[in-house]
Amino acid sequence: MHIRTRVLRDIKRRSTVQATEVVRRAYLYVARNQTLSPQIRHQAQLQLNTFPKDTRPATVKNRCTESGRGRGIMSEFGLCRFQFRLKARRSELAGVQKASW
Amino acid sequence: MASIACSRINAINRLRCSIFQTSYNPTSVRTGAKYLRARLRGPSMVKYYPKEISIAKLIKEFPAMGWVNHAEEQRLQDLANLKARGKGAPKKTKKGEPSRRAKRKRKSG
Repeated sequence: MHIRTRVLRDIKRRSTVQATEVVRRAYLYVARNQTLSPQIRHQAQLQLNTFPKDTRPATVKNRCTESGRGRGIMSEFGLCRFQFRLKARRSELAGVQKASW
Repeated sequence: MASIACSRINAINRLRCSIFQTSYNPTSVRTGAKYLRARLRGPSMVKYYPKEISIAKLIKEFPAMGWVNHAEEQRLQDLANLKARGKGAPKKTKKGEPSRRAKRKRKSG
């Protein structure tokens, strides 16, 4: 069941990102603000570096909501290509139809 | 068309900023405003996976209902039985202490 584990890990990352987002933004504002003194900006950057890895939004990955697969995700549906096909054929996706011409 | 002096264009820009309440930044200095202006991404990030409903979670949420998770009870009872027969999981080694295997080696050797 390793796929499920990765989804759980991703859920945890998402909640940590949400919890620290406001503070991180404040530090980012100070660190990237060229009108402030370099010392203050450097301090803010050092503070940013102390945040754990999972607080960065870039660590969050959109995985398949059905199977947990990490690759081949269709972002509009949040499904991997295979689950997308299965659901589309069961006509569970509104407006999706098998092509035929 | 007559060319307009650069200073006049700057003056117009400054006036425009004061009218529309935008910040006048002719040298394009980075103020970090975009980090404050951008919407927070956390709330939508958390909602990505559909919420799961499990029996254990329901019981935890509503303790007043008096529901019992029979599978979990059975598991705990089985574990207790195993432990009573001396077949439980071995104790975890504490930090700094040698592992059980190392201890056994030392005794025999």
